[in-house]
Amino acid sequence: MKRLDTEILVVGGGATGTGVAWDASLRGFQVVLVEKRDLTHGTTGRYHGLLHSGGRYVVKDPVSATECIHENRILRKTHTHCIEDTSGFFVVTPEDEGEYPDKFVEGCAKTGVDCSEISLAAALRREPLLNPRVSRVFEVPDGSADSFLATHATAQAARQAGARILNYHEVIDLIIEGGGGPRVVGARVRDVVRDEEIEIRAAMVINATGAWANKITGMAGITISVVPGKGTMVAMSHRLTNTVLNRCKKPADGDIIVPVHTVAIIGTTDERVTDPENLRIEPWEVQLMLDEGERLIPGISKARVVRAWAGVRPLYQEDYAGASREATRQFALLDHKTRHNVAGFLTITGGKWTTFRLMAEKTVDKACEQLGTRKPCVTAETHVPGVEQGHYWLGHRLHEIEEDHLQGQLVCECELITRPMLEGAARQNPTLTLDDLRRDVRLGMGPCQGGWCTYRAVGIIHELGKAGVWSGEAGEQTAEAAEWAVAYAHSPKRHPGGVKASTDGAGAIPVLFNPNLLLHDFLQERWKGVTPILWGPQLKQERLDEMIYLCLLNVDHLPESALASPLTDFYLYDSTPNENLEAPK
Amino acid sequence: MIDVLVIGAGLSGLMTAYTAAQAGPLSVKVIAKGLGALHWGAGTVDLFGYSPTDHSRPIQRPLDFIGGWLAEEQPQHPYSILGVERVSAALAAFTALTAEVGLPYQGARTTGDNLLLPTAVGSARPTFLAPQAQIGGDLSREEPMLIVGFTGLRDFYPELVAENLSKLGHQARAAFLPLDLLTGRKDSNTVQQAQGMDDHIRRAGLAAALKKLARPGERVGLPPILGLNDHAAAWADVQAQLGAPVFEIPTLPPSVPGMRLFVALRDKLRQMGVRVEIGMEASSAAAASANGAAGHVEWVQSETSARPLKHYALNFVLATGGIMGGGFDSDHTGRVWEIVFDLPLTTPQQRSKWFRPAFVNPEGHPVYTGGVETDEHLQPVDRDGKLIYENLWVVGDLLANDNPLLQRSLEGAAVATGHAAGLLLARRQR
Repeated sequence: MKRLDTEILVVGGGATGTGVAWDASLRGFQVVLVEKRDLTHGTTGRYHGLLHSGGRYVVKDPVSATECIHENRILRKTHTHCIEDTSGFFVVTPEDEGEYPDKFVEGCAKTGVDCSEISLAAALRREPLLNPRVSRVFEVPDGSADSFLATHATAQAARQAGARILNYHEVIDLIIEGGGGPRVVGARVRDVVRDEEIEIRAAMVINATGAWANKITGMAGITISVVPGKGTMVAMSHRLTNTVLNRCKKPADGDIIVPVHTVAIIGTTDERVTDPENLRIEPWEVQLMLDEGERLIPGISKARVVRAWAGVRPLYQEDYAGASREATRQFALLDHKTRHNVAGFLTITGGKWTTFRLMAEKTVDKACEQLGTRKPCVTAETHVPGVEQGHYWLGHRLHEIEEDHLQGQLVCECELITRPMLEGAARQNPTLTLDDLRRDVRLGMGPCQGGWCTYRAVGIIHELGKAGVWSGEAGEQTAEAAEWAVAYAHSPKRHPGGVKASTDGAGAIPVLFNPNLLLHDFLQERWKGVTPILWGPQLKQERLDEMIYLCLLNVDHLPESALASPLTDFYLYDSTPNENLEAPK
Repeated sequence: MIDVLVIGAGLSGLMTAYTAAQAGPLSVKVIAKGLGALHWGAGTVDLFGYSPTDHSRPIQRPLDFIGGWLAEEQPQHPYSILGVERVSAALAAFTALTAEVGLPYQGARTTGDNLLLPTAVGSARPTFLAPQAQIGGDLSREEPMLIVGFTGLRDFYPELVAENLSKLGHQARAAFLPLDLLTGRKDSNTVQQAQGMDDHIRRAGLAAALKKLARPGERVGLPPILGLNDHAAAWADVQAQLGAPVFEIPTLPPSVPGMRLFVALRDKLRQMGVRVEIGMEASSAAAASANGAAGHVEWVQSETSARPLKHYALNFVLATGGIMGGGFDSDHTGRVWEIVFDLPLTTPQQRSKWFRPAFVNPEGHPVYTGGVETDEHLQPVDRDGKLIYENLWVVGDLLANDNPLLQRSLEGAAVATGHAAGLLLARRQR
């Protein structure tokens, strides 16, 4: 069995895990991070993209609100290009009257969330589709975040500080040694791609698996009270608002619309579930999002819906059994030595994307304390690569394409992805499925949901493979190329020229890119996300995609159709609408 | 008043218009919201590719299948309603028509067999009739293939084509040529590239470049770029100058082969005095009915930017396409409706009954199988089998009880039902 030795082993490649790896490596620790799938495959990649101002929590959960505004200010500096400075409105609709608005203003003042009331006329000038029947509008510094890019950028910063990030590495078991009380001394990990086992020894194991936290603690015989809270989100095919729109009321289902890139996302439901893995989207949830969205933007439910998906919040509350919406959104750092007499093992869970850096800081502080070293956290003052691009703005890609006449290189007309962008992402980040590239460059995320770009991406990746990009002779990377890995993933202009594939991880990436498998997996992955919302124009679009892939390309009769990737079954999960049109009482 | 108003300018509508105008001869007008599905497809006539009972292997003799198993097991299928003789007659009429307009379509070497043609991913697709520029790809032939792509052309990947064809047991290899052989434009797709080949100097350049690549005995496969307006000459020129068979492999929309067919049929209709008016979305209709008898459609109204327009005719043909063509619309409640006459549909009116779990499902998604039911004259009937309008016909993808994309029968059904409806109209008006 292969063996790796490190000081800190981080389990989980979401915002929190990569944040911990970044923080710990900046403090001089040797760090290895393992993630069982692609980075952000879990909750981080499945949320609505809100950079919280804290406004949503000022009344109910003031500690969270204070954390949010504090981190909001920091992330705008450390992850500038991953954030769009959209600003946010809290609006009082006719359904939201009562005492809440005054409590909201008071709460903002107490928690330090910048809040100013603006006139309805001013709000409507900025957001003409906003419900004109709202009575009051408060502006707060909400933003929208690209959680894929931010996580990759954090991971890249960690790599530059010496961390090793191993995705598609799944923890099979923790290694526990006795003698003076049990101690976690590492983990047995399976490399899912090469199908081999690795033993990773570490002085400290940090469980940053969020809603999956119990699966890891269970390996040490510890049960913790993390409840997966499912949130369903619906993406509209247009950016119907440029400002985050929140209802000014106690947080509830469907009370927020976040503009992210080219779409507007209505979020969310909040349902306790038992399994964080396979999340079924119920028809009533989609309907509820659209009905509630109507209160913020009248007519929104008649607009085209492009996709629906669900993520799981990791809700931590000790001895708590109530509704998941009521659970605190604060994070929880669990020291298993004091709680369960298991040393060398920490769990960080709960919280939200906006507070990931703070969560990492507190976790690594605790690790320092236990490892007997004390180095200060520097992440609040350290930039991840790419921040000099400034805040994201919607016209960014189009601007670069027009400036540099890159129209001929477009492989996705919906999301303005150029061939070099796609190649750069495929070369730099271990890519097992096209879904991984989707997270990197937004492949297949536009209105046609992969109709054109799936075929093109498969063809391009196949050509890269033929050219020997993943042949195992990747060679040394230049510092510039290493930095590029994600910093400019969204920039059509700045792409690497002739960069070799990343060799991060255990050796070169194997050639398991079977083009026919990539094609099948991605078509099914896209299908899974559109079936809950297929009607009207999107159903027509889907039929056209069928015409392309069945009639024109005959992909259901390609050779090697029996091949499966580690994610094939995941994509095959049945997401077609069931008969649950009403919310359970 | 005109004899026939056809609503829809896809293959089924054009075929109806042509047949009625030719066989009547009747006065015909075509109105349509936009261009039909020809602009999206492969430009071939898929008749029946895969049986509902065995999706793994293509049907070898589709007409035998239609006259045999299908007639027996699925009597409500549009082909079964027509019967295999009417389907055969329609295909013969289509073949003759395409020859007449200078875009001849052909079948397999063994008459009655499905062709197997290479796709742009290198799979083998069954189809029944193909334009002659695609026939050279016939996979029943043994000649090795050289698949040529163009560096930077985003819609064609020759190495992928060659690799999959090789895996399927065909001899194929790939090569690249520079894109500027075809066009000087930076943002071109196959339509502009095909236009580039309308220029005989450019195609001489392409032929010369191909000559350096091709080995003796090879046939050469290209994306569909051999001319748009001057296609027949472009294809013949390149082939003659190269001295080897050249064939096209259709790729992503917009479909160059489909556009060629659309233009050829539209121009033919114009010559015959049939107006084809695009940009006219039929939105409503008026009908009179006398106590219990079938109704009589008086006019169809279209929306234009200026004003609504009423189109009067003696007879009406609905060829607006199914879900893909826009003839059906649907909403989140699960309602699916026909947009002009609100004809009764067999489509399930519950979203939970629309889909099966997998994108590629050999059984097909029920939402796509539903549609308008007709009598043997292609006239829509209600649930009790009673005629709804005595002067309305329905053709193409609107028809119930088939799944043309899954079965690979979209154009075959369009040609067959369009031709049959045209003949029925001609007979009636005579």
